[in-house]
Amino acid sequence: MLTVDHIRKEFGKVRAVSDVSFEIPTGITFGLLGPNGAGKTTTMRMILGILTPDAGTITWNGKKVDGTMRRRFGYLPEERGLYGKMKVREQIAFFGRLHGMVEPEISKRANSWIERLEIGQYADRPCAELSKGNQQKVQVACAAVHEPEFLILDEPFSGLDPVNADMLLAVFNDLKAKGTTLVLSSHQMWQLEALCERFCIITAGENRASGTLADLRAAWATRVLRVAPGDDAVRAVLDRVPGATFVTTDQDSVDYAVPSNTDFSAVLKALVGAADIHRFDAIEPSLHDIYIRTIGEVA
Amino acid sequence: MNDFIVVYSTELMRRIKSRPFQIGLLIGIVSIALFTKLPDLLRNAGSHQTNVVLAAPAAVLDRAKALLANDYAIVATTADATTPNAASLKSHDASAWIAITDAKGLKVVVYAKDPSKNWSTVGRRLAPLNVALATDVSQARLATLMSVPVDVQALDAHFSSAAQADAAEGIAFTLLIFLYMLILINSQLVMSSVAEEKTSRIAELLVASISPVPLLYGKIAVATTLALLQLFIWVTVGLLLGANGMHTGRSIDPGAILAGGVTATEIVSFLILFLLGFGQLSMLMAGLGSLVNRTEDLGSVSIPVVMPVVFAFILAIVAIQVPDLPWIVGVSFVPLVSPFVMFARIAVTDVPIWQIALCVAINLVALWAIAIAAGKLYRVGMLLYGRAPNFKQVWQVIRS
Repeated sequence: MLTVDHIRKEFGKVRAVSDVSFEIPTGITFGLLGPNGAGKTTTMRMILGILTPDAGTITWNGKKVDGTMRRRFGYLPEERGLYGKMKVREQIAFFGRLHGMVEPEISKRANSWIERLEIGQYADRPCAELSKGNQQKVQVACAAVHEPEFLILDEPFSGLDPVNADMLLAVFNDLKAKGTTLVLSSHQMWQLEALCERFCIITAGENRASGTLADLRAAWATRVLRVAPGDDAVRAVLDRVPGATFVTTDQDSVDYAVPSNTDFSAVLKALVGAADIHRFDAIEPSLHDIYIRTIGEVA
Repeated sequence: MNDFIVVYSTELMRRIKSRPFQIGLLIGIVSIALFTKLPDLLRNAGSHQTNVVLAAPAAVLDRAKALLANDYAIVATTADATTPNAASLKSHDASAWIAITDAKGLKVVVYAKDPSKNWSTVGRRLAPLNVALATDVSQARLATLMSVPVDVQALDAHFSSAAQADAAEGIAFTLLIFLYMLILINSQLVMSSVAEEKTSRIAELLVASISPVPLLYGKIAVATTLALLQLFIWVTVGLLLGANGMHTGRSIDPGAILAGGVTATEIVSFLILFLLGFGQLSMLMAGLGSLVNRTEDLGSVSIPVVMPVVFAFILAIVAIQVPDLPWIVGVSFVPLVSPFVMFARIAVTDVPIWQIALCVAINLVALWAIAIAAGKLYRVGMLLYGRAPNFKQVWQVIRS
């Protein structure tokens, strides 16, 4: 388990991270969310040991993260970079060596990644000659060639076409299946919602919400009740639900916001008695909704 | 240690394959070939003999011809004393007509296409003949009498002869240029390499994998290795082509250099001072290189470090001429400057061993301090994007 405990980091007069804490159980995929400038990258850099926290501690399986441990970590930064003139295969092998791998394991792993990411035709070409998407695949290979215990991926899907995004998604799931703990930072909420088991939302250098999606939803005070048809008889029933407020309607249905502790069975019974109901959904808030509201509350 | 070896081996191959290194090596070889061969070529070009027609009375014609033959190509001789014209010169493909008459002493008139040439040489060359005609002393006897041998005995124990002192100055100058080129070119390559990693954004991936310290020192070690490789190649080329003491214009026999023209002290001090000077400058360059966000800014950032080196090179040239001036002795202990000036002093005079030891000690301390400061700058600078830090911020990082 990775434990981030009340870390703080300042650059001169600028406080990049004020107070961030979360726990990431081993083997899960963790989503780190926050607007630009929230302190996500600084937090990631502190986890990786690139920066030292001014206060607080970061431990991996109970031990403080150090240089030796870092060898077992992997990182795909948001700003991509490769040696332009170095060949793809050499580049992947170089990062393997940096993480303590030796031949013949390096060549075997490099070839395996080249095959897995379908970049065999570029393997012996300089990286600068590759398209942006293919360069990104090479970077993923560089970050994960040593099959890290812990892998941080900052915006791994940005700039990728849907086919390549799906390919990387499959790669990350494979890594997770092999036991790698993944940390994802992305502004593509639907991807995070599909991939991650736990989340932390950071704003202005502090974490505002954290836990599983169920935990985050449990803290959400209302649900959206979507009922069809949305005629007057239905609306009359919904208007009588304690705490219910009208949200919107269209030709077929009507949406009401109701308290999350509403007795939905009782409401459904009342509706069936009043009209011919053919749709009844108690819609949970999406990660996107939770994120927007959390950020909005801070703003 | 493993990180250092990985960085060293990868960076070494990357740099050897890089165009800037290959071009730098080639330019060095071509420059050395030019430095060594150009003086000879220029001398040969300058000694091209002028075609002349020699007109003189039969009694002196042969002797005058013998005296002038070393300086002029005498294409025709005649006893005809008539005044020549342009057509006369053209018919003999000559540039001048030297007319000699003998009436109570020799008299010479030169009819030349280019009167600005130094024709007074003709008078100096004919002087022994003039004296011989006037005194009846033989020309051979006169030639002996007109040249007084001078034996120069060196009192300074550093050199046994004036010729050796001249040769040493030439060698010192040549090695000084090697030192200057190696330190300046390679430290700037270190700077470019650091800036390239930062601007290509690979730096973050690197420092996430290993500590910045082996990354920085691996780069410096590679640059040092390549500089020594360049030195070996350049010196070999220089020796094969026959090095010249450029400022003296005297040729230095490569065999003589190997046989003792360059002393063991010079070679050892050259290598030690090179390592110290190069270490200091390349560390500074790496630290500063990590602060730039665009490779176009490298030139302006490197100026504060390059200028002292250029200044040191000029001081070293002065030191070759006057190595014992008190202020020259003083600056030979100043870091960044001393690798050049102290080497120049060692090459041309006997520097007390305590001064060499003190110089090395001061430079080692300076290298240590610069390594710490550069390491801090590098660690922070490699992840610093956006507006470049000002001097105050840089100073804060170094002090932290």
